[in-house]
Amino acid sequence: MVAVNHPIEIHGLVKTFGRTRALDGLDLVVEQGQVHGFLGPNGAGKSTTIRAMLGQIGTDAGTVAVFGQDPWKDTVEVHRRLAAVPGEVSLWPNLTGGETIDLLLRLRGIRPDTTRRAELLERFDLDPTKKGRAYSKGNRQKVVLVAAFCAPTDLLVLDEPTAGLDPLMEQVFNECLAEHRAQGTTVLLSSHILSEVERLADHVTIIRNGRVVETGTLESLRHLRRHHVRAQVAAELPRDLPGVHDLVQDPDGVTCTVDPEGLPRLLAALQQAGVSALTCTPPSLEELFIDAYREPDPSPTGGRA
Amino acid sequence: MSQTTGTAALLRAALRRDRVLLPVWVLALSSMVAVSAAAMEGLYASAADRVIASRVINTSPALVALYGPILNEDSMGELAMSKMTVMYAVFVMGMALVIVRRHTRTEEESGRAELVGTTLVGRAAPLRAALLEGVLASVLVGALGALGNIAFGLEVPGSVAFGLSWVGAGLVGTGIAAVCCQLSASTRTCGGIAMAVIAALFLLRAVGDIGPDALGWLSPLGWGTRLDAWGQTRWWVLVLYLVLAVGLVVLAHVLFGRRDLGSGLLAERAGSPDGRVGTIPGLVWRLNRGLSLWWVVATVLWGALFGSVAPHIGGLFDSPGGREVLEALGGRGKVEEVMLAALMAIMAAFLTGYALQVVVHAGHEETDGRTPAVHAAHGSRAQLFWSVVALAMGGLVVLAVCYAVGSSLGYGSQSGGVWSALREQVPAALVHLPAMWVVAAVAVLAGAVRARWAWLGWVVLGVVVTIGELGPVLKLPGWVVKISPYQHVAAVPVEPVSWPSEAGLVAVAAVLLGGAGWRYRARDLGGLPASRFPRAAGTRLRG
Repeated sequence: MVAVNHPIEIHGLVKTFGRTRALDGLDLVVEQGQVHGFLGPNGAGKSTTIRAMLGQIGTDAGTVAVFGQDPWKDTVEVHRRLAAVPGEVSLWPNLTGGETIDLLLRLRGIRPDTTRRAELLERFDLDPTKKGRAYSKGNRQKVVLVAAFCAPTDLLVLDEPTAGLDPLMEQVFNECLAEHRAQGTTVLLSSHILSEVERLADHVTIIRNGRVVETGTLESLRHLRRHHVRAQVAAELPRDLPGVHDLVQDPDGVTCTVDPEGLPRLLAALQQAGVSALTCTPPSLEELFIDAYREPDPSPTGGRA
Repeated sequence: MSQTTGTAALLRAALRRDRVLLPVWVLALSSMVAVSAAAMEGLYASAADRVIASRVINTSPALVALYGPILNEDSMGELAMSKMTVMYAVFVMGMALVIVRRHTRTEEESGRAELVGTTLVGRAAPLRAALLEGVLASVLVGALGALGNIAFGLEVPGSVAFGLSWVGAGLVGTGIAAVCCQLSASTRTCGGIAMAVIAALFLLRAVGDIGPDALGWLSPLGWGTRLDAWGQTRWWVLVLYLVLAVGLVVLAHVLFGRRDLGSGLLAERAGSPDGRVGTIPGLVWRLNRGLSLWWVVATVLWGALFGSVAPHIGGLFDSPGGREVLEALGGRGKVEEVMLAALMAIMAAFLTGYALQVVVHAGHEETDGRTPAVHAAHGSRAQLFWSVVALAMGGLVVLAVCYAVGSSLGYGSQSGGVWSALREQVPAALVHLPAMWVVAAVAVLAGAVRARWAWLGWVVLGVVVTIGELGPVLKLPGWVVKISPYQHVAAVPVEPVSWPSEAGLVAVAAVLLGGAGWRYRARDLGGLPASRFPRAAGTRLRG
């Protein structure tokens, strides 16, 4: 074991519900200061992982450590260092938004008047005097976001936090997240909105059927995938360049995809053919994501790419 | 598409959802009728006995306030139905309220109505379907009630008239519920308003039965006795029920047309922008505060009513059969004391309902996902569990004392003085606590195993109360009757406190709670929708 305790360290986590294996040997390590995107389609096991991390569900195998502690046993100590936004937000119908925010803060041992509560209510444009039942979905989400963001914390656990927010409020959310990140807060951001993760996260873990299929920095994941190349050339390109795929050449120009290792040869060939215009696009997260799901189910020994 | 397109489909869906709830309500109420009819033969075989019993009721204002007057003093049917005609008609209204609210306001508050509304369903169809189910339930309960009476030998015209009066009460209850559910956006508030209306109608009738008769005519609960089902039946009174019910339903539709889906006619008041609640026990109390205060008020009032009735009710049993029943209930002793002790035993079962409401509410908090949110903020399962247990169990102590105080006020003011009554009544109420704790602890255990199972506590309460009620009538073997924890409590002050029983019940409750606490600590938390997982979903749909 490393001496340093990462904020989140999960190894070989298995959780079954009846005959369904919701988590099937999942690994997830989030290091200090990371904004870690946690991606997967509906039902992949994102929320189950988070609930195991919060000590809300027991596990069948594997280890879960949050700041080096077992969230199942040392729940209160673990929760003292984090703020969580649950995936499905249900408020008390007869408590106001303000009462709910204060309750959640006080339960974490924080005095509401020492926080940025008032400022965040303003920024999120939230009326704290309305009863829980009167809020729209987006406003319910804002209530829990204000409660999570208005005090400093070591770890933010956000389960699809922007669900129901309009673009303006998404912007406020992004700003809040950036502010916390600047203070060194570690963030686990579960989502299936790829553009959001691409914009906010530096690390990404993609899961499928309770297992990890890709993990790493966004950059390193991009290096595993082909770039899209588009060019205007004077002469014909050779057809058999190694590492170059889907090559199409017509009067409009040439398009192809290229493996990272094939890029030098392709550039040389383009130069020889008299290139006059060139665009090279790195793969988007969406492509990584779709690729990860197009591949056959990863083997039981682990799906690390 | 008309306003009511889809009513039939919604009604079918509602009946499917209520496939347990509806039969339980209908059968519970109609079997109370049958049991009352069946018990009469043994208790008051001769007309003379019946006249004595009826006169006891008629000469006691408190009893008339509770049951209504008896018009034909020698009628077997009327005496048998004395509790059913007015008091249980309130429960028929309650059934209608539960059904109508469940399929209208509850659906709107949860947002499900909005989802359903996007399909080929008219705007008024959910309301119409709920009303139809209310009508169906009312007709069923009335018909089965009448059949029960006839089956146990009561005269047919009276039985039919009585059954129709229950149908009428159900229809009016349906109408009241439909109107009240238009008023507020809050399910709880709508239910509270409806219950207040029913309570006011009961009060109006009570005053009318004791004093100016005209007031009694103003309350549909007064029509049950004024129908005179067992004598010169005024059949036209039945039209009153129908006219009022139709009027209420029309009013409900008018109100419905003036509001948006999900909103109420009463404006939602803005609340406090910041809160003082900051602990888990504080939250549990905050969420149950309104409920608890209503229980306290209701318990003191019922205690006072029962306490003031007790000196009169003793005469009811002044026949050989009646003494037998009294002895079965509470042993030999001063008739009034025996009566007070017997009423206390009824109250013990009734008050247990408070603890069950608290525990079931806690279960909903979890399945709705709010408990996980609290847990994510603080994380102590022990606090989550024991806060609910403390309120449920401690609340029973407070309510038992409240009942004793009310009962002493009612009884003591008529004989002997309030203070001396208190000295007897408080211990007499407290001895019931261990039995109440056992039943409440069963609910806690069920909820601790699975949050959705907490309501099983109500089933347990129903079963043990039924065993206690039917035991003497059906002459069940002793060990069956002793399943009920309430049967282990001595009728203090007539009998001495049975300390071994008390200790045994406390031990059982402690073991149940300990097991529940252990289980709650070890299980997955949260309203994990079983339907998210294919196997569970499949079995649910096929099953």
